[in-house]
Amino acid sequence: MKIVVLVKQVPEADKVAVDPETGTLIREGITSILNPYCEYALDEAVKLKNAHPEENIEIVTISMGPPQTKLALLRCLELGADKAYLLSDRKFAGSDVWATSTALKEGVVNLEPEFDLILAGKQAIDGDTAQVPAETAEQLGVPQITYGVKVQIVGKKVEVKREIETGYQIVSARMPALVTMSKGSNIRRIPSMKEVLNARKKPLEVLTADDIGIDENKVGLKASPTQVARIFAPPEKVGGEIIDGSDHIDSAKKLLEFLIANNYIKE
Amino acid sequence: MISLSSNIIESEKIEPAPIDQIRSVKGEREISSSFPSYLVDESKISGGHANWLFFPKTESDFVTIFDKMRRDNHQITISAARTGIVGSAIPFGGAVVSLERMDRIFGLGFDEEVGKWFLRIQPSLSLDQINEIVKLKKLEDHHSIPPEKNWVEKFKENCTHYYPMDPTEMSASIGGTISANASGARSFKYGATRNWIKRIRVILGTGEVLDIPRGKYRAKDGEFVIKTAGKELIIQIPTYKMPTAKNAAGLYAKPDMDLIDLFIGSEGILGIITESDIWLKEYTSQMSCVAFFNNELDSLKFVDLLRNNKKADPEFIEFFDYNALNLLRNKQKEDPKFVDMPNISEEVTTAISFDLSYSEEDMEEKFNVLSEMLEKCNSSLEKTWCGYEERELERFKHFRHTVPEIVNNIIAERKKEFPEIHKLGTDMSVEDQHLADIMRFYHETLKEEGLEYVIWGHIAENHVHVNILPRNMRELELGKQLYKKCAKKAVEYGGSVSAEHGIGKLKHEYLEIMYGEEGVKQMRAIKCKLDPNCIINCDNIFSRSECV
Amino acid sequence: MLKVDYEACTGCKVCEKVCPFAAIVVVPETKKAKVLDTCTLCGTCVNACKFEALSIERRAISEEELAKFSGVFVWGEWEKKEDDNKIKKVVLELLGKGRELAEKLGETLSVILPGYNVEHLIPELFHHGADKVYLCEHELLEQYTTDGYATTISSVIATEKPSIVLYGATPNGRDLAPRIAARLALGLTADCTGLDINESRQLLQTRPAFGGNIMASILSPYTRPQMSSVRPNVFSKPNPDSSRTGDIVRVKVNLSRIVIRTKIIEEIVSKDDSINIEEAKILVSAGKGIGDKENLKLIEELAQELSGTVSGSRALVDLGWIPHPQQVGQSGKTVAPTLYLALGISGAIQHLVGMSGSDTIISINNDPEAAIFKVSDFGIVGNMFDIVPEFIKQLKEYKLKKQDK
Repeated sequence: MKIVVLVKQVPEADKVAVDPETGTLIREGITSILNPYCEYALDEAVKLKNAHPEENIEIVTISMGPPQTKLALLRCLELGADKAYLLSDRKFAGSDVWATSTALKEGVVNLEPEFDLILAGKQAIDGDTAQVPAETAEQLGVPQITYGVKVQIVGKKVEVKREIETGYQIVSARMPALVTMSKGSNIRRIPSMKEVLNARKKPLEVLTADDIGIDENKVGLKASPTQVARIFAPPEKVGGEIIDGSDHIDSAKKLLEFLIANNYIKE
Repeated sequence: MISLSSNIIESEKIEPAPIDQIRSVKGEREISSSFPSYLVDESKISGGHANWLFFPKTESDFVTIFDKMRRDNHQITISAARTGIVGSAIPFGGAVVSLERMDRIFGLGFDEEVGKWFLRIQPSLSLDQINEIVKLKKLEDHHSIPPEKNWVEKFKENCTHYYPMDPTEMSASIGGTISANASGARSFKYGATRNWIKRIRVILGTGEVLDIPRGKYRAKDGEFVIKTAGKELIIQIPTYKMPTAKNAAGLYAKPDMDLIDLFIGSEGILGIITESDIWLKEYTSQMSCVAFFNNELDSLKFVDLLRNNKKADPEFIEFFDYNALNLLRNKQKEDPKFVDMPNISEEVTTAISFDLSYSEEDMEEKFNVLSEMLEKCNSSLEKTWCGYEERELERFKHFRHTVPEIVNNIIAERKKEFPEIHKLGTDMSVEDQHLADIMRFYHETLKEEGLEYVIWGHIAENHVHVNILPRNMRELELGKQLYKKCAKKAVEYGGSVSAEHGIGKLKHEYLEIMYGEEGVKQMRAIKCKLDPNCIINCDNIFSRSECV
Repeated sequence: MLKVDYEACTGCKVCEKVCPFAAIVVVPETKKAKVLDTCTLCGTCVNACKFEALSIERRAISEEELAKFSGVFVWGEWEKKEDDNKIKKVVLELLGKGRELAEKLGETLSVILPGYNVEHLIPELFHHGADKVYLCEHELLEQYTTDGYATTISSVIATEKPSIVLYGATPNGRDLAPRIAARLALGLTADCTGLDINESRQLLQTRPAFGGNIMASILSPYTRPQMSSVRPNVFSKPNPDSSRTGDIVRVKVNLSRIVIRTKIIEEIVSKDDSINIEEAKILVSAGKGIGDKENLKLIEELAQELSGTVSGSRALVDLGWIPHPQQVGQSGKTVAPTLYLALGISGAIQHLVGMSGSDTIISINNDPEAAIFKVSDFGIVGNMFDIVPEFIKQLKEYKLKKQDK
């Protein structure tokens, strides 16, 4: 059985900020990591592999990105993927969600057309759009289940515990299908030295648009329906009254006064 | 080029600054109410007090302060980052002098003879600050020493460098680490701080300054001669033999020693460091690993193999015993994110944490060598954790500090019931061949008395911290006695009573265990020569000397 | 394509400094800027260059093509509430904003309403500003499914050719919108916090990125319709005008069972109203500062006294102390209650993004530097374990006094 995991390498979003004075991105000391939600998806794939030894599940990770994405794919191999592909080409530069999903779809169709399940992270922590997996599923013509927190394989179907606003659903679909993961383990796994070493022996291929046979007019900025017009810093917040709370009786009193004055106390 | 060294040094006379130019606070009450942080350090000893608080900026300021304190017959305690754990920075009367305004970078240079970069700084910069400046190359062209060589421009084109000392608490001041000859996990590979000091400027209790580049002044016939204005001081080097094991106890003593080493590690009793040139090192990417063993003896065997292996060439090797692992396991059950590591399986009794340099080219070779070593010790490459991304290295670092943190939290809880209680942490080292012996001794002694204890530490240098967690005052007393027993045993095994924390105000009695009455007398003699009025840091290493 | 004008370029290196992706460097030999493979055409360097030496070439679309598309559409998402279906509040918020956009364009505002037995929901849509409702009823649309709804709505869009389509960024909205975007090869911008019409009659879509650390303005210049999703509680609900009516278009829905490829086997819905924090008017929110799970009792007591609902930061969800539906923040829910009390919350940007739209924000934290104070209307730097119990005591006394009167 074959599980494809779509992954992305992202900058550590916590540290990215815009200098409010100059309106430009501050770039100091930011490292690139495997997108956390993609890691959840990979973890789920590995769980499925361990739960179904009889299926001989092969986990293939695919990513589209600049050459340094290799490091994120290497990490996937360390964490249990069997094979990795990187689609990397100048022609992909400037790709928005649509163009990215086109490239990924072409990648899947050309490299792993016999997939049973595609797992992806809910969203990437840089773009935060949460759209690429769904658009890729549409282009591949397979059903999707989003906001998954747990995946099970039952015969030829996949059963997913899905988050909704007021609780959960269990949704099933016949494979091939695509599932996005919105939650995973709190504590990230750590590979052993053996797994780190073996990762370097597993196949990791870097492919250009030509290698896959992708028409360059279908990817990159040219093919992107959305464009970034401007990047700017979020507006500076200005706080209101801050009081010293060392006298708790007095500060509680002031808080009560504030709430009464603003009509927040119901009888 | 071999420069002829001499054992004679001339001091510089520094003019005093006008006293009102020096920022100061007067009055015991004022200081304890508005500036209480200057009366404590990480040893958590209480009772610190001072009548004066000074903030000098220059050597001239020091001269003025010393003159005043000498006239009024007061002592001075130097305070910088206050991260020490033996009470060195805590004043008990007199003046506390904070070095916080002496935090300038004077410059960067390259020693063409030895091919190494160095940084010239004032004492109160922290190691974190120094590394930020060095790693991110936050220097201006005018910082070049000398300016016409344009070293800063060249440095910026060079690969990343850093200052490799890591005494665990990176907010420590550079001056403090030099005074204490700080080490830490990495001293196994890089040596202690003294290996990284190219030059110091030190101001004596008499107000005179010695500028000491390494290699210029060496002892002759067991003596140094210091020519000050008016007097010639003959310094006799102590005749005791220092242990070969990791050691931070007492004054450095070797017959042909360099003068700079007398001051490094002297815990501020001989003089105050006002400036230093520190060597920098090329930064190599690291990889963090943890290996697991079901038997402590297997792990000790692995440590011995690993530390002698040139191919593996580990940065450091840290040890966590069964009790340490159980503390972690319990904490994980109640708050997994606190530890932030995967579960450690139940059969594992010991963990060895080590860093290697990271490179894709020789990874396979290194790992094969490690695999062989692990197999010999009933473990394997599969029973390990491994990471090399920045955030993984952070995680492993955090993991190494979690055990001490949990221990501190436990003691804080127990303090609620027994306010006088505190943890007892040993800081002893032994020679390589006695590692298994001392570990066995620790376990047997403590188990016999039924005390709660945890062992972790810098095992590559046979230097582990045995932490006794007393549950009541009786256990605290018992623990103190056992502590002495351990100290004596460590010395028997060729080791030191204080491998890295120093003596400070807390461990005077252990100094005698190590060097005997005669050794301490010889150290006092040097103190009296250089600080006859006993003004500076009088209670560090040994109690206040009465100099005739 | 990012183009460098070599005549104008002075090699000043400002572009090199500001590029977030290290994708442009000044070549030392030529002292001119060079664009590398990693360029994402984000435009940061173009804005920063003082010499106007950088420019980005983008494709354009003809005016006459654009003129074929007209109308602002909103997806009318509804949900089961107790025994009946109800239009989701976010739809009404989008109608408010949609009305604004329609006025600026001089176009009409419509709602696409797929479902089964949902006709009675229509009047509310007219009351809140819709001119037209496309009612798409079919048995197979009784519950939300990706396939059923994507097929139905795509079909309406293809036929009616709106210029703008808006979706609430609810779990289903985020599931649905990209599927439709891919089906019709359109641009879609997620989680917009601002929508406006620019001078060229284009939809200017503003949204946060990098967890809220930066804001981006997005355009979909040459595909129609332009599609955006918006989180609940970002725009305000307009005041209803019960006299308003509009046109109902009954769309013939062609769906067969085989088209719908997912099946809901089970629903585990929490009966407890407290889970729906998006609708709460008063939220009492706890962060890592509460220290212990036990202390949630204090938070619950406070919420009860204020007739509010308990919510929390991501830290508490990670620890398993509160369930995910109660999480406020970037990876949780966006809320905009009239009163938001933040207790022991430091104010990380990912949290602020989820609640800064609240009318009044009050916070208690013992760290004076906590970022939450910057967005608070009233803040107390102190120990909440002393202040909150005391406050509850005083509040109870106050209520008793008022009762006695």
